[in-house]
Amino acid sequence: MTDHRLDIPFDGVAAREGETVPASNRWQRSEPLVLGLLGILVVLLLWEALPYLVTMKAGTKLFFTPPSQVAETLWTLFASGTIWEPLGVSAAGFAIGLGIAIVIALPLGILIGRSETLNAFFDPFITAFNATPRLVFLPLVLLWFGLGLWSKVVIVAFGAVFPLLINTHEGIRNADRLLINVVRAFGAKEWDIVRMVVVPNALPYILTGLRLAIGRAVLGVVVSEFFGSDQGLGVMMVQAASQYKVNIVFAGMIVFMALSLAMTSIVKLLESRLGRWRPQRVASE
Amino acid sequence: MTDAAAPRPGFPRPSRKLLLGCAAVVCFFIAWQAMFLFVHYNSLFITKPSLMFAALWRLTVSGQLFYDLGASAAPFIYGLVAAVIVGVPLGILMGWRVRVGLSLDPLMTALYASPLVALAPLVVIFLGVGIAGKAFIVFLLTVFDFVFNAYAGVRSVDPLLLNVVRSFGGSEKDLYVKVIFPSVVPYIVAGARSGVGRALVGVLVGEFFAASEGVGYGIVRFGNFFALDSMFAYILVVTVLAVILTQGIRWAERAAFPWRIGQ
Repeated sequence: MTDHRLDIPFDGVAAREGETVPASNRWQRSEPLVLGLLGILVVLLLWEALPYLVTMKAGTKLFFTPPSQVAETLWTLFASGTIWEPLGVSAAGFAIGLGIAIVIALPLGILIGRSETLNAFFDPFITAFNATPRLVFLPLVLLWFGLGLWSKVVIVAFGAVFPLLINTHEGIRNADRLLINVVRAFGAKEWDIVRMVVVPNALPYILTGLRLAIGRAVLGVVVSEFFGSDQGLGVMMVQAASQYKVNIVFAGMIVFMALSLAMTSIVKLLESRLGRWRPQRVASE
Repeated sequence: MTDAAAPRPGFPRPSRKLLLGCAAVVCFFIAWQAMFLFVHYNSLFITKPSLMFAALWRLTVSGQLFYDLGASAAPFIYGLVAAVIVGVPLGILMGWRVRVGLSLDPLMTALYASPLVALAPLVVIFLGVGIAGKAFIVFLLTVFDFVFNAYAGVRSVDPLLLNVVRSFGGSEKDLYVKVIFPSVVPYIVAGARSGVGRALVGVLVGEFFAASEGVGYGIVRFGNFFALDSMFAYILVVTVLAVILTQGIRWAERAAFPWRIGQ
């Protein structure tokens, strides 16, 4: 690939945010984009060319599908409309689960952020359930809620609630004490403090939490549909895999990837939009 | 409600927090056990903590638990080690050679954002139900944690330190050994912290799909038999292990790189 040893000593680290080399010409400005696209293109071409470069055994060929075929499958899935129904089922599980996670995480995050005692009380559970892959609860959830939408919703909500909760908590605790004291000195009640100082301050943290939660929610949809669902994009992928239709598996994965990337970048955009007035940057995670 | 950080006089905060935390856990189990005094107990639906701990004891004594833990540990460790071996050098290379970084960054970001678990069925079909398939799933899920953290680590290297080494006649090798690697290590540990959680997911996914042993397989099997006491015991074991692993790494991070606290 295009890798030259650079003569300028610190170019290796100068690409850091905020101290980029002044882009004097058009090439320098578009270099990241061009190189990035090139990187993806090279990998795709290698993938496409693989069967011509190495001879594969008949068994291996069964699992191989070139990107062109994946693209074609993707096109037919959308053109024939067969993808909309499973996609809709998956999207419903995602949306309801994420909604429940938000409804639980925001108030609880504010509560434990404002009260040291409640925080100490909830902390062991939050730590434990956040560290545990929610997948271990899947057989149990299936037992309780059965195959279908509600198991999925529970798994999605369970995964998404913790990043939101932890980030909200972090943001609430990070509120400026001086501002709180000022508001309090002017006779504000706890509710006013929360409304006027604490929550606006925590907003960027909450958005960061939302971004992480979206990633986890998508994973939750995939995983719960793999093991316990009768409809959805994940179900379609598992069925395709068991029939050696590798192209459908990859097509499904690309759909998931695109949706997850699109949603996280929307939140990221919101983050930078809302956090513009802030002097210091909020640490993610 | 009191102010968030206000210390209570006469009650040291850390021990207070620990006490409250332990009390909360104990309360949780007591409430769970006591619940069935009022609610009808259905052993096909839920279990009691007393039965769960009894099952845990039984599985420990019979050695079943350790057998399953061993079976799950092997792919976990192989996958993680492979992820470190591949991910760290790749991340360092991406951070050090600007153009490599620029070329690979979008690809890696896309892969990192995509639910790679989705490839699990393919991996299981391709590599089989043994250690190899599960280890590969673990590798796939964790490698990007290491790539991106090593990448960030290299980019955080202090240019001044590089200059000093260069001025005193240090070679390219000295730069790597004396400056870059030491500043990347804390990032790699941070990557390991997030990677461990995903590695657990990987092992469980692999074992849910197809396995004949292991903790994840145990959970599914006990669930199918409606042996909920054993199933809860295994879930408890996974929870405790997950906490020990992530908190252990966090603790090690604090002990080894105290200057990074708050970063």
